[in-house]
Amino acid sequence: MKAVKRGIFWIVLLAAVAVFILPFLFMVSNSFEEFSYVLPTPPRILPSRINFSAYEHVLTQSNLPEAAWNSVLITLCTAFFTVLVSSLSAYGFARIDFFGRETLFRIYLATLMLPGFLGIIPQFLVLQWIGPGASGLIGTKAGLILLYVGTGVCGNTFFLRGHMAALPKELEEAVLIDGGGHFTTFFRVMLPLALPSISTLAIFCLQGTWEEFFSAKVILGGVQSNITLPVLIQSLKGAHATRWEWIFAASILAQLPMILLFAVFQKRFVVSGLAEGSVKA
Amino acid sequence: MSAQTAAVLHREKNALRKKRIRNLRPAAFFVLPGLVLACVFVLYPMYFNIRISFSNYQIVQRSMSFVGLQNYIALFTERGDRLLLAIRNNFLYAFVTTPFIILFGLIFAVMVNSLKRAGVFFRTCFYLPVITSWVVVGNVFAYMFNAGQAGLMNYLLKDVFGVLDAYVPWLQRTWTANLVIWLLGIWKNIGWAMIIYLAGLQGISNDLYEASSIEGASKAQQFWYITVPLLKSTTFYVLVNMVIGAFGVFIQVMMLTGGNPRGTTGVLQYLLYDKAFNLFEFGQGAAIGMITALLILVTTVVMNSVFKTKGGNET
Repeated sequence: MKAVKRGIFWIVLLAAVAVFILPFLFMVSNSFEEFSYVLPTPPRILPSRINFSAYEHVLTQSNLPEAAWNSVLITLCTAFFTVLVSSLSAYGFARIDFFGRETLFRIYLATLMLPGFLGIIPQFLVLQWIGPGASGLIGTKAGLILLYVGTGVCGNTFFLRGHMAALPKELEEAVLIDGGGHFTTFFRVMLPLALPSISTLAIFCLQGTWEEFFSAKVILGGVQSNITLPVLIQSLKGAHATRWEWIFAASILAQLPMILLFAVFQKRFVVSGLAEGSVKA
Repeated sequence: MSAQTAAVLHREKNALRKKRIRNLRPAAFFVLPGLVLACVFVLYPMYFNIRISFSNYQIVQRSMSFVGLQNYIALFTERGDRLLLAIRNNFLYAFVTTPFIILFGLIFAVMVNSLKRAGVFFRTCFYLPVITSWVVVGNVFAYMFNAGQAGLMNYLLKDVFGVLDAYVPWLQRTWTANLVIWLLGIWKNIGWAMIIYLAGLQGISNDLYEASSIEGASKAQQFWYITVPLLKSTTFYVLVNMVIGAFGVFIQVMMLTGGNPRGTTGVLQYLLYDKAFNLFEFGQGAAIGMITALLILVTTVVMNSVFKTKGGNET
């Protein structure tokens, strides 16, 4: 009886894994093909050959290198400024008892109830007003970075404030008694102590920005030389005919950095899930 | 309370208030950069969105004039009922996908949690869709559900397993297309729910399982009487996130159907995008945003009250 149960357990688990892996296997297999607009019948689950011509094509004949560079730049800048602005702001809320603190924090929290995309139209118009010319910051990398950092401020401040408020105050008080100000306390004491939660924030920010599509499409969609990888991959799908092997090759190349990030920081992805859960529990 | 102590208290309160006002200066350095950004990109847009939804904003002239409820009326009376169909599809998406995400997320979390070494491998497999971008998986699903024999699903279901009599044009028909959109949503989000449940499981003491197994409880009983009740607040967290997330469905629809046939697979965010950035009807787009926000608020309030009355004072 026990052996039967064990057997069922493994069959269910392996079947589930098959379902989860199949689309990826399918993508990888077909990225080695050369369809020339004609799809093979029956479709290939396993590759008929190992061939990198599709990869060669997207790397040399498409916008992929440029889009990859844009993605890297936008993602790194967004993560850097997000960490900077949010940790400063979180310190202010966690450690300085200023007039109006609770009210302001409640306003920040209230904005989290609505998903960010709802503001895309006014955000688009605001970016159009900031900056020179008729289109302002629309179509520029700086505009998209500003938008990402700005829309993330409330949630990230909330996340970091919770962690910072939970840290012991003794060290900071020692610094304050020694004549150091908040500035010293923040850089010398708080940043090192809060580093685990700050790096969690940074990793999730990197991942979220790398794959963000909606705002990137709206803000950068009109300027080919500034688009990011998700926007590029979406544009590869033609209205009438599609070279699927190119799409899949580009997708795999675009996905590699994230798989690497996950492999290196696996623990953090899981541990932060823990923290997130406990905040809400 | 004597008049003296009242006076002392009053003075202390005043001193604290003064201190808090004095603290505004050091706080400004830390809080202001974030506050300015939040005002420009979150708070002002919220207010501005309300105004746009009641006006006919012209993008080229950058002009707006008040038109009352015209945008809303236009949306609700439009031929083809795209708005109502979108609202229906968003709610259907929430109702259909959330139960499966919660169920499988919990089951896989418990299964993976019971493994010793292989756990990392299985956890990674289930989490892989979560870290893969929507655009990428949207494309893969579009190919897998291709209409003809070239589609993997048609090939598997008709030619290999013989479940279907004929090839199905999955993405060209309303309900099969919606089914694919739901499947993609379920498949992509199970891993996220699993991670949250895994975290929740770490919080349950092993003593409970040991004590109950000494008293002769089966694995199934342990699952129903220990695991499920103790993970209730985790379940609520997953539920709220998934239901609110259901109002943000966009890329699946854009990549798989574009809302076709005739808007019957459309969703609110896709309609907002289409109105604003394809048709340049900014007023109507903003109105869709307002309607979505209202639906989310009402849904959240309803979920909160249902869960509270059902759960009593446990959570």
